Amino acid sequence: MKLNLNRRNFLALAAAGATLPLTTRLAMAQATPFNFQASWINDAEFAGYFLAIDKGYYKDEGLDVTYLSGGPDVIPESSLIAGKADLTLTTPDTTIKAIVEQGAPFKIIGAQYQKNPIGIVSLASNPIKTPQDLVGKTLAVPPVNVISVEAMLKISGVDRAAVNIVPYAYDPTPLIKGEIDASLDFTTNVPFTIQQAGVEATSFLLYDFGFTIFNDTVVVTTDTLAAKRKEIVSFLRASRKGWEENLKDTTVYPPTFAETWFKGTGRSIENEVYFNTAQKPLMEAAGGIFSMSEEDIAKNIEALAAVGIAATREMFDTTVLEEI
Amino acid sequence: MTRLRPLLNLAIILIVWEIVGQFQLVASGALPAPSAVLLRLITDWSDYPLHIGATLYGAGVGFVIGNLVAVAAGVLFALYPVSARVARGLNVAIFALPPIAISPILVLTLSDMAPRIVLAALGCYFVTMTATVVGLTQADARAVDVVRAYGGGKWAALRFVQWRNALPTILSGLRIAAPNAVLGSILAEFGGGGRWGLGVYLLGSLGRAEPDRLWGIGLVATAIAALAYFAFAALSHFVTRGTQAVTVPSAVLSSGDKPRPAWQQALIIAASVALPFALWWVLLALLRVPTMIAKTPPGLFDYLFLLPSAPIAQGKLLAALAQTLPMTLVGMVCGLALAFALALSSQIWPAIVRAFMPVALVTQTMPLVALTPLLVLMLGRGPAVILWITISVTFFPAFVTMAQGLLQVPRAALDVPKAYGAGIFKQLRLVSVPASLPYLFAATRLTVPRALLGVMIAEWLATGTGLGNLLNQSRGYLDYGMIWAVAVISVLISVMFYQIVVAVERRTLGRLGMASAE
Repeated sequence: MKLNLNRRNFLALAAAGATLPLTTRLAMAQATPFNFQASWINDAEFAGYFLAIDKGYYKDEGLDVTYLSGGPDVIPESSLIAGKADLTLTTPDTTIKAIVEQGAPFKIIGAQYQKNPIGIVSLASNPIKTPQDLVGKTLAVPPVNVISVEAMLKISGVDRAAVNIVPYAYDPTPLIKGEIDASLDFTTNVPFTIQQAGVEATSFLLYDFGFTIFNDTVVVTTDTLAAKRKEIVSFLRASRKGWEENLKDTTVYPPTFAETWFKGTGRSIENEVYFNTAQKPLMEAAGGIFSMSEEDIAKNIEALAAVGIAATREMFDTTVLEEI
Repeated sequence: MTRLRPLLNLAIILIVWEIVGQFQLVASGALPAPSAVLLRLITDWSDYPLHIGATLYGAGVGFVIGNLVAVAAGVLFALYPVSARVARGLNVAIFALPPIAISPILVLTLSDMAPRIVLAALGCYFVTMTATVVGLTQADARAVDVVRAYGGGKWAALRFVQWRNALPTILSGLRIAAPNAVLGSILAEFGGGGRWGLGVYLLGSLGRAEPDRLWGIGLVATAIAALAYFAFAALSHFVTRGTQAVTVPSAVLSSGDKPRPAWQQALIIAASVALPFALWWVLLALLRVPTMIAKTPPGLFDYLFLLPSAPIAQGKLLAALAQTLPMTLVGMVCGLALAFALALSSQIWPAIVRAFMPVALVTQTMPLVALTPLLVLMLGRGPAVILWITISVTFFPAFVTMAQGLLQVPRAALDVPKAYGAGIFKQLRLVSVPASLPYLFAATRLTVPRALLGVMIAEWLATGTGLGNLLNQSRGYLDYGMIWAVAVISVLISVMFYQIVVAVERRTLGRLGMASAE
C-alpha cells in the first residue's frame, strides 16, 4: 500500500512538473487574463517580457499574463486565430501575406525590432559581406524566410538562380564544417555560437541591403483589438517598461532568469548576454520601444512590394501606441 | 561465450566509433565520440529531469488512452466482424498516416499537451488493436463450444475463454506500442511549442552547434524507448511465463464476416470509405476550431478546386508530388531489398547480422533532426540523402518481419534439399524464399507508409524539395488549406499504395494457395 501511494505521488509530481511550467500564471483576484504567444523558445529576445512578469509590471496594470513559449515550428499567428493567445510577435512579411492571401483579420500595432535582426551569417575565412558575394554559393535558409532572401536578392540585383538555397534547421554545424557557405539567422545570436565553436563569423543584415522591414511585429486580431483594447494598451505599457529597464544595462538581467525562464533551454547565459547587447541598437527608437514611425512603415511597404506582397498603410495601426 | 557475444560486438562498435570520433574521421568531426557524448550528458544532466518528465507524461497518457481505445475497438471488431469491415478504411488510414504530416494539424487544432497525447495514442492504436483481434479470434474453438453448450453467449465466451487467450498477444502488442508512444510524443513536441520535453530540448539545442549534446538527447530518447520496450517484454514474460516472437502487425483484418449479398457488400465498402471523412468532419465540429484553420472535407475541396487560388495550389501540389513520389518508390524498393538481403544473410552469417543489430536499432529511434548535420555532411543534399533516410526508416521493421518468415520455414521442407546435398544458397532459393513469401508481402505493407514518411522528413530537413518542404513552408505562410491538403494527400497516397500491395498479395498468394501473414 505504502509503495502504491508513493508511486502515485511520484506520478502526480511528475505530471505537475510537466504541466505547470508550460504556463506561468500570476494568479490575481481581479486581474484580467491575457495570453501572450512568444515567437521563439525562451531566450534574450523576450527578456523585456520576462522582466515585466518577474517585477510585477503586468500585475500593476491589472493583467494576469500567461506567457506561451514559441519555437521553430510554432507559427505565432496560428495561436491568435485558434484563440489560444490575445497578442503575439510575428515576422511582418508572413503576417501581411496572410492578410492579403487568406484574408486573415490581423492588425500590426507595434514593432519590437525597428530593424530586422535577420541577416546572412558566414565564416570570416570565407566571408560573404554583400548580396553579390552570394553568387555561386550555397545559402541555408529556413523555408519560411525564403521570400525575405529572394526580396533582398532582387533589390540588390542578384540573380536568384545563381544562389543555391537549401533548407536551414537552425543548426550552425553545417556552416562551421563548411558544408554550406552561409546561413540566414538572427545576427544577434548565431555569431556568438560560432565563436564558441572556435571559428570567427561575419554577418550583414538584410535590412542594410534594401529589405527594410521590422521584426517581431506586435500583432492582434481586429476582434481582440475591439474587445480588449484597454488590456492591450496596458500590456504594451508594462512591456515597454520591462524593455527599458532591461536595456539600461544589457548584462544585468539575463543572469537573473537562469533558474527560471532560461532553465533547461540548453543555452548559456553568456549567449543571452551577447544577444541582449546585440539587439539593443535594433530595438531603440525615438518614439520609444514598439514605435512605428510613418517613415519606417513606408519602408516596410516598399520592401514587401519588391516580393509582390501588397502591404498597405491600413494593416498598421499606430493609434494603440499613442494611448500608452 | 555465446552469451557474451552481443556484448563483445557492442564493445567493438563502441571502440571503432570512439576512434572515428576522436580523430574526426567522419564528416570533419560532425560525428562525436561516444566518450564526448557521455561527458556532455553528465555536464547537462541537470537540464534533463523536467524534459524527460514532460515526455514521459505525454507518452504515458497517450499510451493509456491509445491502448484502452485499441482494446475496446479490438473487442468490438472480434465480436461483430461487420464492424471491422466498416472500420477498415479508418484502420488503414491510421496505420498509413505519416506522423510528420498529421503533427502540424494536431498542433493547430489542439493545445498544450493534447497534440503529444494524441500522436502517442495514434502510435499505439493499430498495434494493440490488431493484437487484440488476433488474440481473441484465435482462441481454442473447442473451449468456446463448451461455453456455448452450457448456454453462454458471446460475452461469456469472451470472458471465460477468448480473453485469456488474447492476453499474451495483447501484452506483446504493448511491447511495440510503448516505444511508439515515446516517439509520438517527441515528434509532437517539435511542432507544439511548450517549455519542456526532450523534443523541445533538442530544438533549443539545435542552434548551439554542439553535436555531442544532440547525440546525448537522441540517445536518452532511444534509451527511454528501449526501456519501455523491455519493461513490457518483462511484464509479458512474467504474465505468460514464456516468450512470444515479436511481430510488427501490418495487415488490416477483414476475415471472419459471413458472406453477404452484393448490395450489403457495397454498402459496407461505402461506409468504410466514408467513415474517416465523417470522423474528420465531426471532430472538427466538436472541437469548434475556427474555419480559417480547420478545413473540413468540403472546405478542402473548395481550396483545391473552386477558389480563385485553386490552380496555384494545384500546381504547387503536383510539382511537389512529382518530386516526392518517385523518391518514395525508389526508397521503398531499396529499403525492402536491403531488408531482404539482410534477412537472407541472417540465415547464412548470423553473427555478422547480430553485430549489426544495435546500430540498426539506434537508427530507428534516434530523432533524425539530430542526425541531419551529420547526414548532409556525409551525403550532401541530393537524392542520396533522401534515399539514405528513407532506407533507414523502412528497412528495420521489414527486416524483422522477413527474418521471422525465414525462421518459420518448416524444418522438414528444408531437409529435402539438404538430403540431396544442396548448399545453403540452394536451400534458400528452392525452399526458404518461396515459403516466406507471405512475410515478404507483410513487410511490403509495413514499408509503404514509412517510405513516404522518410522521404518527407529528408525533404523537410535536408533537400528543401517536394511535399516535405511544401508542408514546412505552408505552415510559415499560414497557408492552412495547403497544410491540410498535404496531410490528406499523403494519407491517401499511403492508403492507395497499401491497397495496391494488398491486391497484388491476394492474387499471388491465392494462386500459390498460401495464406497472408498477419
